[in-house]
Amino acid sequence: MAQETGEIKTMTPRQRVLAALRREPVDRTPVCNPTSVATVELMDLVGAHFPAANRDPEKMALLAQTGHTELGFDTIMPVFSIIQESSALGCKMQWEGKDNWPTVKMAEPIWSEPQDIVIPPDLLKHRDTQCVLEAIKILRKRFGDDVCIIGKTMGPWSLAYHTIGVEKFLLMSLDDPDKTRRVLDKLKKVTIDFGMAQIEAGADALTLPDHATGDLVSGDYYDRYLKEMHIEFVSDIPIPLILHICGRTVDRMDYIAQTGMAAFHYDSKNGPGESMAEVKGRIALVGNINNPETLYSKGPDSVQEEVWKNLDAGVPLVGPECAIPLQTAIENLKQIPLAVKQWHKEKAGRT
Amino acid sequence: MPELSDVHNEFIRAEIEEFILDENEQRHIVQMYAKISPQMQDIAATIIDGDNHLSDELTKKALDGGVEAIQIMDNGLIAGMAIVGIKFRENFIFVPEVLACARAMKAGMAHIEPILSAAGIEPIGKVIMGTVKGDLHDIGKNLCIMMLRGAGFEVIDLSVDVSPEMFIEAFEQNSATVIGMSALLTTTMPNMGVTIEAFIDEGLRDDVRFMVGGAPVTPEFAEDMGADAYGANAVECVEVAKRLAGETQTATA
Repeated sequence: MAQETGEIKTMTPRQRVLAALRREPVDRTPVCNPTSVATVELMDLVGAHFPAANRDPEKMALLAQTGHTELGFDTIMPVFSIIQESSALGCKMQWEGKDNWPTVKMAEPIWSEPQDIVIPPDLLKHRDTQCVLEAIKILRKRFGDDVCIIGKTMGPWSLAYHTIGVEKFLLMSLDDPDKTRRVLDKLKKVTIDFGMAQIEAGADALTLPDHATGDLVSGDYYDRYLKEMHIEFVSDIPIPLILHICGRTVDRMDYIAQTGMAAFHYDSKNGPGESMAEVKGRIALVGNINNPETLYSKGPDSVQEEVWKNLDAGVPLVGPECAIPLQTAIENLKQIPLAVKQWHKEKAGRT
Repeated sequence: MPELSDVHNEFIRAEIEEFILDENEQRHIVQMYAKISPQMQDIAATIIDGDNHLSDELTKKALDGGVEAIQIMDNGLIAGMAIVGIKFRENFIFVPEVLACARAMKAGMAHIEPILSAAGIEPIGKVIMGTVKGDLHDIGKNLCIMMLRGAGFEVIDLSVDVSPEMFIEAFEQNSATVIGMSALLTTTMPNMGVTIEAFIDEGLRDDVRFMVGGAPVTPEFAEDMGADAYGANAVECVEVAKRLAGETQTATA
């Protein structure tokens, strides 16, 4: 069951999300967006298109706020992709156009060995990190304390994919664990510094994507390389952290639940019931409405069905499993908060 | 019927016992290995263990000892990858381990390929692979290529961000009959359909079979795009490629 009691006075979206992240009672389950709900339709609506909306703070804020103003989510998340820090670190980028996400050219890595890794002293002054910080400031000013503003700071495992290359880094993890740890250790400064700067800019919580996904590595890898570092992030970064890892992750949820992270943003490849059983109340789950098959391809009825499946399982924050396809129909996204409200209404009617 | 004890190499016996749990599959693998010489089993073991240095050394030694290159490829390298594929499919190993096995395969193939090529020995099929336009993700595509090569296919790798025109050009320049397209982004998935349309427009669609895959791609989406087949992972990719290559051979026979 969600922590909703029915006796709690109406909360603001911000209060609702932060309470759920603290695993405290809420007036209703919050609808949360730890990654991106930007769509081409929303870009057209407010005149803030990719790629500019990834690089211009005003456009970034304008597009991000549609998640709340148009879709009715309780959160606003201005970071639509996973490339801001990597761009600032010097990775080669493909910015793409209106209908695609920007991507790091991972086939052209910038570093090879731990000793190559030099974090630029002006990392936070780079256009693409500044853009996020400025967008958060704009949103905080615009929405005050009403809406929960979530920032995003990439974990060292994901940054290693971008800067060293996926295959090379994964082979390194097998061949030379010590070297791998030295890489992660150097890159964690980026995670912490960018996270802290977003807090200063006004973020209420941070998504921390660190793609040690079940599609690539074992659950044992998470324990071996990342668990302790994620515990360190919880201790160093003083606002709720939402860990995001795509793919099948049930085999590592027990480790993730031990980190002290406020929440885990989980993928639809994991059932809500089995995931709740795995984390045993030690961490809040956020998710896990399927993107390609449901939000992108089906209609509001199917969206509602998935939302209710999460709510029935007691998942405390509901939202899409990952950054949604840019061509997703707004109608389907609006259905998420509607379905949550409907579920609570029906539940209240039953009790 | 051969028994597990008929497999000479102790490491391979242990691998079969621990990781190949399906009875039929285990029987098939035991039958295959029971026919393979101890020397070739030793080479297969280097692939399963992901030991590129030993794979390099033993392949070279076998060639120097007069073993035919095709024997080493089929009974050593490819036989090893058969067990790697099963372990990967069943989540006993993950991408880092598969990358190490593929590296070992590559080390052995570096000695074998020039000999096969000089002798004019044909691969079991030729496949063009690429990640579609707008998408720079290649790990899934690369795993498929490793498994395809591990199964004896020749693969033309077009890398990432491959436009329909690039697929057509590669198709026209090579005598491949199967094209594999990969996408990780939901925004780039539709480019699979765009590519297939381009082949239709050029009047080439009937000469080629398309297989597609990638994290957000589903069998339904593949069908909607007009693909001939969908593969959920790198192991399935090989099975699909074998089937499609067979279809095209039948069609042209």
